Amino acid sequence: MSELVLTSLRKTYGPTVAVDDVSLTVREGELVALLGPSGCGKTTTLRMVAGFIEPTAGQIVIGGRDVTHLPPHRRDTGMVFQSYALFPHMTVAQNVAFGLEMRNVPKAEAEKRVADALSLVRLGHLGERYPRQLSGGQQQRVALARALVVNPGVFLLDEPLSNLDAKLRLEVRVEIRELQRRLGLTTVFVTHDQEEALTLADRLVVMANGVVQQVGTPEELYESPANLFVAGFIGRSNVLAGRLVSPGRFESRGGLAVSVPADGRAAGPAALALRPERLTLAEPGAPVAPCMNSATGKLVLVTYLGATSEYRVDLRGDEVLTATLPTPPASDPLRRLAAGDPVTLTWPADACRLLAPDGAHDQGG
Amino acid sequence: MALTVTAPAIGAGERRAGAGFSLGPALVIPATLLVLAFLGAPMALLFRYSLNRYSPREFMIDAVTAENYIRFFTDPYFIGVLGTTVQVAAFCTVVATLAAFPVAYLLARSQSRWKSALVIAVVFPLMVGNVVRAAGWMALLGNDGAVNAVLRWTGIVSEPVRLMYTPFAVILGIVAVVLPYMILTLQSVIESIGRDVEEAAANLGAGPMVVFRRVLLPLSLPGIIAGGTLVFILCMNAYATPVLLGGPQFKMMAPALYDQFARTTNWPFGAALAFILMASTLILTLIGTTLLARRMHHRRIDAAAR
Repeated sequence: MSELVLTSLRKTYGPTVAVDDVSLTVREGELVALLGPSGCGKTTTLRMVAGFIEPTAGQIVIGGRDVTHLPPHRRDTGMVFQSYALFPHMTVAQNVAFGLEMRNVPKAEAEKRVADALSLVRLGHLGERYPRQLSGGQQQRVALARALVVNPGVFLLDEPLSNLDAKLRLEVRVEIRELQRRLGLTTVFVTHDQEEALTLADRLVVMANGVVQQVGTPEELYESPANLFVAGFIGRSNVLAGRLVSPGRFESRGGLAVSVPADGRAAGPAALALRPERLTLAEPGAPVAPCMNSATGKLVLVTYLGATSEYRVDLRGDEVLTATLPTPPASDPLRRLAAGDPVTLTWPADACRLLAPDGAHDQGG
Repeated sequence: MALTVTAPAIGAGERRAGAGFSLGPALVIPATLLVLAFLGAPMALLFRYSLNRYSPREFMIDAVTAENYIRFFTDPYFIGVLGTTVQVAAFCTVVATLAAFPVAYLLARSQSRWKSALVIAVVFPLMVGNVVRAAGWMALLGNDGAVNAVLRWTGIVSEPVRLMYTPFAVILGIVAVVLPYMILTLQSVIESIGRDVEEAAANLGAGPMVVFRRVLLPLSLPGIIAGGTLVFILCMNAYATPVLLGGPQFKMMAPALYDQFARTTNWPFGAALAFILMASTLILTLIGTTLLARRMHHRRIDAAAR
């Protein structure tokens, strides 16, 4: 396994910039997820690493070797395709043996490695089947075995779970993570599913419009999003537009005054991001601790989600906050709240995250 | 020349619950009647003719005799005509396949917005009749044609090279006629092979040639078989091209049997020629496709045994 280093990688199609200045180091044995909405450049980045797309500029180094201009078959990457891309005219065992054959591995050793790889993905008994005779989940595992058996320098996964049903997706997800840990695979994983990325990856790279928005651990991204896009894409956020009137003092466009952590940001236009689960709900008139922020409004919608409930509160006109609370017990007066009731929301100052306002470029984090 | 187009069964499984009657099977009745009336019946009649006896004065005498068939297989001239036909057809099929594959691949993999224009360009020659096309070849290949003019002008030759009325001209002409069929057949099959399968092979360490040999070729084999069959049948039955570009000395089966009907008015022998042409086309097509299909199968078994 080797380290993967991308330096200022860029890809343009005519005037369209698909990937812009992506620099990233994936350490040995690390699993990094490229995450973003479709068209954000994550798949293009992965395909440049595999060699299927020639970068317009930048450099790709795998294990100290500059592979930027090498053809795919000389790059030593192991890729799992979204469609699995198994060879339909070969048996499972032949599919898995293909990469070893290309590397001129002696027959006896190749047979042993194929058997090992197939038992690794728990398909030892299906080697003589053809791909079309397997279920989607099994085909997926053949694709994994085929990519892993050659001990690639970098393991690449392109939305490998998107063709599986929900239950299977969870299973295969755990399986991939275990394999990756056990074999110490340097892995790049492309997905548009943030839950998948949060649960699988050591680090996440959030991309939008071909640009890396933020790189960090799941915790870093969730707790300290670098900009409004990340705040909205990783988990959910309430966003209030307004301005920082003085250090530690934010005023929303609707006139709501909020105390926020003084993070050294200069006064001026800003956006406030608030996680729904950091808000608490109280009946109006209930005492509010002086260190807490509070806002009063009208409940517009209560959504019962089982373990949690979601409360949508209209503050003044166009400002709406959503609070997610553990569903209160049946005896709690909060359970009797209905749309139209006046309520008070409270939250501590440290739950607020100040970000550059929409439209401005903010490359923090 | 009979081309059977198999349409996918439409409406199967779409029967509404409770309705015991489905229109599906009834839909094939008109086509079936048409084929029976206009293909089956004349062929039966023709086959009957081929068993008749020919008399220069009485034209055709009712009989049941194999003498027309015996005459064919004992006359070196006609055996030669059949041999030429098979050779030309086989050669043209191979050349067309080799020439069509790269074009078909390019078309199938093209993302360009010009793709449909390219497909039309491939189909366009089909809009020009064989005779018109042969006339075009004459203008190119004749002693005073464009090719010879260029050759003489550049000083490569001093005397015109004979290009017309040669097997070369016939093969060139036939390949040009059948190429679009081959390209379109291969294109649709290659399109059904995912690009990602080729990418997966490359990713596992296969260079372009190996990807072609181990992945693309075996997966395109059904297309090669289908296109090859279609083209071989077209070549075996070629008429206008061999007549116009091959001249009177170059005989293939279709012109030969036309001669029997139109010039010598020997209908029984002409009918026999027709059935021999049809049977040999059928048998050779079957042999060819079986060999190719078996080869595909063998390769799988060999690979599995390794």
